[in-house]
Amino acid sequence: MSLVGGVVARQCARSGFGFTTRTIASSARLSLAQPVPKEQPAEPSAKAPLVKEFKIYRWDPEQPEQKPRLQSYKVDLNQCGPMILDALIKIKNEMDPTLTFRRSCREGICGSCAMNIDGQNTLACLCRIDREASKDSKIYPLPHNVYLGPAALLHAYRWIADSRDSYGADRKEKLQNTFSLYRCHTILNCSRTCPKGLEPGTAIARIKLEMATN
Amino acid sequence: MLAVRAIGLRPALRASRPSAALFRTAKRQIKTETISQAEARLILDRQRLHRPSSPHFTIYEPQVTWLLSIAHRVTGSALSVGLYAFFLSYLAAPVVGIPLDSAHIVEFVHGLPEWIKYAGKTVIAAPFAFHSLNGVRHLVWDTTKLLNNNA
Repeated sequence: MSLVGGVVARQCARSGFGFTTRTIASSARLSLAQPVPKEQPAEPSAKAPLVKEFKIYRWDPEQPEQKPRLQSYKVDLNQCGPMILDALIKIKNEMDPTLTFRRSCREGICGSCAMNIDGQNTLACLCRIDREASKDSKIYPLPHNVYLGPAALLHAYRWIADSRDSYGADRKEKLQNTFSLYRCHTILNCSRTCPKGLEPGTAIARIKLEMATN
Repeated sequence: MLAVRAIGLRPALRASRPSAALFRTAKRQIKTETISQAEARLILDRQRLHRPSSPHFTIYEPQVTWLLSIAHRVTGSALSVGLYAFFLSYLAAPVVGIPLDSAHIVEFVHGLPEWIKYAGKTVIAAPFAFHSLNGVRHLVWDTTKLLNNNA
């Protein structure tokens, strides 16, 4: 509610538009306010638990000799939010606090919760849980690679393409090696999976063209 | 939602101040120790030495993007192997004694059963056609055109 709305509401109260016509300061009104007996919300009808199995790739850095494994967790989807991130948080809170994952904005803008869900790289906070309880959901981390990923290269291109930036040549020089840029084989999985439609594949192609034609 | 008036927020805050008891911090049950940045970095590096590489190729959902890409790679290497084998056979032919000129090749193929001729031509032509056409796609992409499907 905005500041303006609050002021208007109080002025309405003062003029007696169906509210109490006492003209009193807002704070005093709060302390004299009578709690209005709220209608008790109906008890949530006990839904039959809809249990889905999540298989999550786990590895303990404190016990590195133990091979990574897929650990199973059963979650009642009727007691859980709709997104994969909700399920992960529920598992961490209620079942296994050692489950570790990155997250921040929970609204699909920061990119922290990127992981491989059911074979596709997506953001956990944007990926809806498939309500089909008979199918299990597999969650893997993103692979860590020596080379630069599409996000980093997209960011690099943003600067290379900026006419106000005077370090274009240096940036391109940094990419002159086997690993940073040229591990890209134009598979285009990145453009397909980007939840924001940013087309990193296009940006990378543009860097390659610039590096080839200069 | 509190609206701020000229008097300020203080009266409102006074009314809503929680009891002091809530502010008493709970006794910590877990002992922690502080380590320096350098020590933390050492621990991290030790972990990284043993960190396994998470699966990627084995778990990724089949999609048109990478299926075509891997088909391009596979057909490319298969065709290369075939071509190299054919070129090297020119070196091997005189040694082994099998002549490798057009007349002999034509005669050999003529003698094969029908179905082998059809199968053989398919096996050679299909990957070649796919790889060439997909190669054109790649060349178009290298000009930065037509890289995405969005309408």
